[in-house]
Amino acid sequence: MAAPDLLDPKSATHNTKPRLSFSTKPITLTPREESEVREKTEKSRFLKVVATVMKWKTVTAIFLLVVLYLVMGAAVFRSLEQPHESAQRLAILTQKLEFLSTHSCVNQSQLEELVKQVVSAIRSGVNPAGTLTNHSSLWDLGSAFFFAGTVITTIGFGNTSPHTEGGRIFCIIYALLGIPLFGFLLAGVGDQLGTIFGKGIARVEKMFVHWDISQTKIRVISTLLFVLFGCLLFVALPAAIFKHIEGWSALESLYFVVITLTTIGFGDFVAGGSEIEYLDYYKPVVWFWILVGLAYFAAILSMIGDWLRVISKKTKEEVGEIRAHAAEWTANVSAEFKETRRRVSVDIYDKFQRATSIKRKLSTDLGFNPGPELTLPRRTVSVNFNDERSEREAGLQGLTTPLARNGSLFMNGLDPERGDIIDHFK
Amino acid sequence: MHSVGRSWLLITGFILFYVIYLLFGALVFSSIERPMEDKMRNELEALKQEFLNLSCVNDAALERFMVKVLAANKYGVSVLRNSSTNSNWDLISSMFFANTLVTTVGYGHTTPLSDTGKAFSILYALIGVPFTMLVLTACVQRIMFPLVLAPVGLLQRSGLEPRLATIVHFLLLLVLVVLCFFVAPAAVFSKLEVSWSFLDGIYFCFISLCTIGLGDFVPGTQPRQPYRPLYQVSVMVYLFVGLMMMFLLLRTFHKIADLHGLTTFLQLPRCEESDMEEDREPMVEDGHKDLTEKKAIKPLEPGSQPSYNTMNTG
Repeated sequence: MAAPDLLDPKSATHNTKPRLSFSTKPITLTPREESEVREKTEKSRFLKVVATVMKWKTVTAIFLLVVLYLVMGAAVFRSLEQPHESAQRLAILTQKLEFLSTHSCVNQSQLEELVKQVVSAIRSGVNPAGTLTNHSSLWDLGSAFFFAGTVITTIGFGNTSPHTEGGRIFCIIYALLGIPLFGFLLAGVGDQLGTIFGKGIARVEKMFVHWDISQTKIRVISTLLFVLFGCLLFVALPAAIFKHIEGWSALESLYFVVITLTTIGFGDFVAGGSEIEYLDYYKPVVWFWILVGLAYFAAILSMIGDWLRVISKKTKEEVGEIRAHAAEWTANVSAEFKETRRRVSVDIYDKFQRATSIKRKLSTDLGFNPGPELTLPRRTVSVNFNDERSEREAGLQGLTTPLARNGSLFMNGLDPERGDIIDHFK
Repeated sequence: MHSVGRSWLLITGFILFYVIYLLFGALVFSSIERPMEDKMRNELEALKQEFLNLSCVNDAALERFMVKVLAANKYGVSVLRNSSTNSNWDLISSMFFANTLVTTVGYGHTTPLSDTGKAFSILYALIGVPFTMLVLTACVQRIMFPLVLAPVGLLQRSGLEPRLATIVHFLLLLVLVVLCFFVAPAAVFSKLEVSWSFLDGIYFCFISLCTIGLGDFVPGTQPRQPYRPLYQVSVMVYLFVGLMMMFLLLRTFHKIADLHGLTTFLQLPRCEESDMEEDREPMVEDGHKDLTEKKAIKPLEPGSQPSYNTMNTG
């Protein structure tokens, strides 16, 4: 079992993989099978439609459940973390006022102390720079919701993280339950996405059929269309929006989009994490975009994985073919070699037999005692009749089988004239 | 037996290529980011000197100073006196970074500073993430047999009923994984890292192995960490093996859910088992399966599911 399983493990993490019929195996279709496969895929699409109608209700139910779960998580996080956060902020403020009131030459140790405080404040998620009075909390409901979302999607930005022990323990339990839950949701959304796009592609493919293009080309074109359209909708458009709202450069927005949707989530750039005045619905929309974009990216990644598998399979096939050729060649050569050896040894044996019989005649004629019988040493020639080689030697075997059998008896040093018992035969 | 040898060769080839890919990423990151980091460090040092030369400190200067310190700290550059001169972008640390990138953990304790670094991260991730997933799945499939299917078969042969055997085995596996990959490493981390408690260790292990990777705890980033390269390499190995075990757990759980009819009950796709050999279109198979399962509306009936052992087709 040499082929690795390409169930995309990110989806395996979420217990499934999004279904995109048009993206599987674009290269392995042969012209003969095209019509059959087309029939099959038509039928399967029909069946799939029936199946997805059933799943739609499940998906909505799961979606509502996830939203409820997030709201609950946000509330718990807020109640655990906000007091700790205010205490930290108070400490930093006091520190800063103290420093400012000295107004004297600062020495090294005082500076170090300040910097240490600054750094630890940052680790708690508080930004001591700027005016601290109208600083928005990092653990208000909207932000806590966002944090919970980053936990169960396994993105994990890290710009906010729990600092109390209770918060951390709750985070662990929350993630344990939330990640599989989100996995189910992702599976459902991915399926829906695949179906919607599949229907569109089917219509486009019908158009192409009239133009008489091969199925493989249609597959490739539809895959490209899917990739392009998805990139436009889930990558380029949000990147432009982020560039406009957050004030990042184009590269930084694209970087943020890719890092988020592959769930890497460094946290150096976070939509909704800066000190800008955001619209109320900004963060929920970002979260919704993350959800759909994740499904799209999971599909892209599994497609890349499929391609890698196809490439590795083709390489394996080619390597296998080369190996088969090499094996065939070796088999032919060794068969020929053995044949020549056998013929030569039969020749020698014949000559030897003739010599011995002549010698015997001479000795009986001259009345000598027959000397010790010189027999050829027992040589067992092992002819491996492997399955593969037996087929190739079938041509040879028809000619040489009777000769080979007799030859093998002779080559074993047995003399049928002496009536020896044949105790081994090949 | 020949095919078993070949599959082992393939696995080692995959792992070797994965390690090479990581090294390559580490080299590129190191060469791109190191100069930037040095520049930032020099700037911060100059700023600090300037600040110390002032006779009186005012608010504006302090604000400016703090903003710079924050910006530097965000990228992992510390301005404290007793911080070591360990770079965040030497070879091993870059490899650590590349590892967090392709396993999608993404701590964020070090992030690319330059534009080129960011662009390269995008490309690197787009190729590396599916590839890592490929490697992990291949490894999981390989160890599936000795760790899951063989013990379950053993349990079944020793008299347990098949479904009960799978559940018992799953619970045993779960306990084993928790002990080996959460409790034990947490104890080790709490000893090696000065400021971590045992709970912090468990929290770190969990957040890393679920690939959430918040980044509030990252091992090996303390100043003056002894044997830092060795430490970081062992953490990388731990992450990889731990991820593999998590995937194994999930796959086993998925199989059990299939067996007990849970996935059909929730109308979710079933765990695909070596479809790759037959090269079937998954859509066709699952379409037919879904219909037939809806007809046989008794997913929890004992006789309707194949036994656990028959799933071992490889």
